[in-house]
Amino acid sequence: MGNKQTIFTAQQLDAYQDCTFFTRKEIIRLFHRYRDLAPQLIPLDYTNKPDVKVPYELIGSMPELKENPFRQRIAEVFSEDGEGNMTLDDFLDMFSVLSEMAPRDLKAYYAFKIYDFNNDDYICKSDLEKTLNKLTRNELSEDESRLVCEKVIDEADLDNDGRLSLEDFQHMIVRAPDFLSTFHIRI
Amino acid sequence: MSYYNREGLFNPAYHDSETLEIDRSPSRRSHHYNPYDRDSEPWQRGLTDWTPPEALPRYNEQGRYLGDSGEGNWRPTDHMAMGLVPHPNGSLRWQHNQGSVNAGYQADSAVDYITPPLEEQPPWAPHMGETLRQRGTRKMSLFPGGGVALGRLGITEEDVREEIQSGEQELVKELVAMSSRDQIQAMRVLQMSLQDKRHIRRQVLACKSSKRGLKLTCLTDCTEQVSRSFRRFGASMVSAKQAMTLWHGTIKEIGGKFGTSVLSYFLFLKWLLMFNVFSFVVNFGFITVPQLVQLPNRTDQINFRGLELLTGAGYFNQTVLYYGGYSNETIGDPPAYDMQLAYFFTIAAYLVLCGLSLIYSMARSFQKNFVLSASGNAWCLLCSWDFSITNVKAIRQRQNNLRVQLKESLSEKNQGFHMTMSEKLKQFGIHLGTWFISTGLAAASCAAIYFLCLGYLDSINDSQDSSLLTEASTLLLPFVVSLINLVIPLLYSLLSKIEKYSNPRTQIYVIILRNVFLKMGILGILCYYWMKILSNRITCWESIVGQDLYRLVIIDFIFLMLETFFGEFLHNIIGTKCLPSLGVPEFDIARNVLNLIYAQTLAWIGIYFSPLLPVLQMIKLFIMFYLKKVSLYQNCQPPRRYGRAAQMQTIFIALLFIPSFVGAVSMVAYTVWSLKPSAHCGPFQGLDTTFEAVVLWMERVNILNLPESMWAVWIFHNVIKSELFFYLISLIILVLIYFFWQITQGRKLLINLLREQIINEGKDKAFLLEKLQKLQKTMPTMASSQPAYTQMPQTYARIQEIEPDYEQDFQGLPGIPHPEEGSGPTGPPITSALIQAMLARKQAEEDEEEGY
Repeated sequence: MGNKQTIFTAQQLDAYQDCTFFTRKEIIRLFHRYRDLAPQLIPLDYTNKPDVKVPYELIGSMPELKENPFRQRIAEVFSEDGEGNMTLDDFLDMFSVLSEMAPRDLKAYYAFKIYDFNNDDYICKSDLEKTLNKLTRNELSEDESRLVCEKVIDEADLDNDGRLSLEDFQHMIVRAPDFLSTFHIRI
Repeated sequence: MSYYNREGLFNPAYHDSETLEIDRSPSRRSHHYNPYDRDSEPWQRGLTDWTPPEALPRYNEQGRYLGDSGEGNWRPTDHMAMGLVPHPNGSLRWQHNQGSVNAGYQADSAVDYITPPLEEQPPWAPHMGETLRQRGTRKMSLFPGGGVALGRLGITEEDVREEIQSGEQELVKELVAMSSRDQIQAMRVLQMSLQDKRHIRRQVLACKSSKRGLKLTCLTDCTEQVSRSFRRFGASMVSAKQAMTLWHGTIKEIGGKFGTSVLSYFLFLKWLLMFNVFSFVVNFGFITVPQLVQLPNRTDQINFRGLELLTGAGYFNQTVLYYGGYSNETIGDPPAYDMQLAYFFTIAAYLVLCGLSLIYSMARSFQKNFVLSASGNAWCLLCSWDFSITNVKAIRQRQNNLRVQLKESLSEKNQGFHMTMSEKLKQFGIHLGTWFISTGLAAASCAAIYFLCLGYLDSINDSQDSSLLTEASTLLLPFVVSLINLVIPLLYSLLSKIEKYSNPRTQIYVIILRNVFLKMGILGILCYYWMKILSNRITCWESIVGQDLYRLVIIDFIFLMLETFFGEFLHNIIGTKCLPSLGVPEFDIARNVLNLIYAQTLAWIGIYFSPLLPVLQMIKLFIMFYLKKVSLYQNCQPPRRYGRAAQMQTIFIALLFIPSFVGAVSMVAYTVWSLKPSAHCGPFQGLDTTFEAVVLWMERVNILNLPESMWAVWIFHNVIKSELFFYLISLIILVLIYFFWQITQGRKLLINLLREQIINEGKDKAFLLEKLQKLQKTMPTMASSQPAYTQMPQTYARIQEIEPDYEQDFQGLPGIPHPEEGSGPTGPPITSALIQAMLARKQAEEDEEEGY
């Protein structure tokens, strides 16, 4: 890895290390993964902070995300422009949150955002229905999916406002131990 | 602007309410536009901007009234919205005015409270439509995407920037105050984008360096440098560790194809492998190498025949593989290396370290995974999706499984679950029967092994020759043990099909429990045989025990391979070719993990009798990893019922600790403290117990009376040999356990209470809302009866013109229910802002009533 020095300055690497859960090597590796998505677009020299974005179509075609039913939401949530086009920072941020080291609260916050399809900061029935459709490939009947959504809200909605706020969601997460290991993408 | 002060906002109704007061800690503030995180201002602004439509008529009328009374030079500016709620003084004055004119003041006060700005209305009137529209849209800022919306809306960018900056400033201050380690950790968990994090980091660093600039001394500079280099060193250590990570790609692949629950088996295997690598390194370094350096004192040369690989006897008998291969001499000159002490302390240290690391990982796993058990299936929808899966087939399957699970849960709910008395009795009878059978089976196999052991002992005593046949006959015992270990669990799983547990998890736990009983029973019987019977009858019995363990490990390995082949491969063939109803086998995580635990117990027991047994275990685990991987890919499908993998993992670690490790340690401890080592071989020959080596060493040290080693003697006498110390230690531990237990119980109680409180507050809110609704319904009639309003037809009419505009605006907003329908007593999707505003109004009203 002789080119390590030319991609980032030492300060940049320090900054990345301090702000993500990654080590130097992983950051470089992630950079190469990122660059492989669009080699002609991304320069090999990041020392002068070029302002480039990889469009969503390419991000969504990564093997880690390609088959994930939530890939578009993930990309949207983590991209600065909200449309899934990602800068390197967004990209690192995404995998940092999805890494093993990220604590439960951080993961829960982003998971909540991912499930909140209409960005209204609440998971309401329509969000739940969308989630359900993605999780079951539209194979539940309308009645069933409505019942399931009602049940979920009934169980998880603590403050009785008919939708799930971030705390409701966190309450639920605390009771679902697998969440930490399943909201995790290895790179 | 003097009237428009934000003070009114510090109405307890806003601040004590649950929904908006989620987390105002500055560390969470960000411009990721989380509504909770945003600084208080925007939503306050939003709240104040928002005027309940019911209030509007009165608002207009009042405006008109006040407009008549005094024409001010008030101009609508962008800031006007900031302070719709009046300064106490302003409001007082205004209240006074109003009180004098408006008889209906009391009833209306809540509304008035929110609407005072129109005090100086008229010049503003032409702009009003616009402003109102603006207000209507600004409400958006209450809602999602807040910040983005803010930008779009009327609030100036400067305001936003200001708020963000003040939030940032606070955050930076907080971060600067932390130690650099905490600082990094805190920075990493900030809920903001990487770019913003870097921005914050830059500020923090700048702040720090400027501080340092003030007190620029060599010392601070040096410490900074040192801490930075330490950090770099730590980071490079972490990456070095990552570089050494075994099977990174394979593990990712398995996770991608089969999900986290299957992966947990492989991670467990890897974890055990690490234990054995460590144990091998320690034993080899501190026991075997010194022994090899000193020339081996082999008495008789036995030729290598090949069968030794299976039996571990014969050629291996005299090697350093077993206890018997070590001598009791001290090696080297004055700085002597005492083999006895080395043997004792190496094994003791290894076991202690193992114990500590097990306790540590158990605690961590409990802390992380063992949470309050969730009821229902809300989590199953939102928290169970496995983001690590990347394989199309696996995703499809998981989606299907989830669908089936959801459907099942729906039908369960519809049916309800009732059992008659006779059914209950029948169920109980079946459970009793299966428990009886399974315990009987375990007991019978233990007895069989015991008698087999006795017979085997006789055969050793009878024939001392080393023909191939006698050597091969030693394989009978491990063969039977492994066979029992293979067959009985199968019977158990058949049994569990008869008894129908309502909860699949209970079923899994029951199977695990029975298997653990069986395996630990067998090992217990074997230990009894080795300790009580074998040790009295045979010279150099430790090596014989070592050989037995070697054979058990090897044969167990062979059986595991066979099981993988027959159990999974044949099942797959039959399932796909002959009997489609049988289906493709699922990967049985519980059974496989229990096998691993059993194998590891053998290795731990063997550590004293055969210090190099970990090598064997290492090879075994290494091969097992690949074997299981291939079998998994070729034959298995991911388990149909998933979920709770993390909890299962905790249970497995606990099982590895409590019967397995604790059992092995107590067995080794018993050997060391109470049994007489064989008189003619091994490092402890000639001593009464193994532990005597330490006692003798202490006496030697005591006689030498070296001042620098007196502490060791003191520790030996006052700590290790004193019963009082152990008594006190166990007392303290018991007290601590009791203490923590009580804390846990207390917290559980507290959690339940808090949950109840949240639910009650939700109900409260709904109730208040309903009341408010009623109140509002009665209010318009009151309003119409008020003479004050009819006195000012002019402005009223003017605002009537604008009103529809406003109404329209309000309805046209997406995501915001029209208040009339949205806040109906039964309509749940009431925006919390609406609730807040209404509650605030209610509160204000009550305050007002008290005041009068």
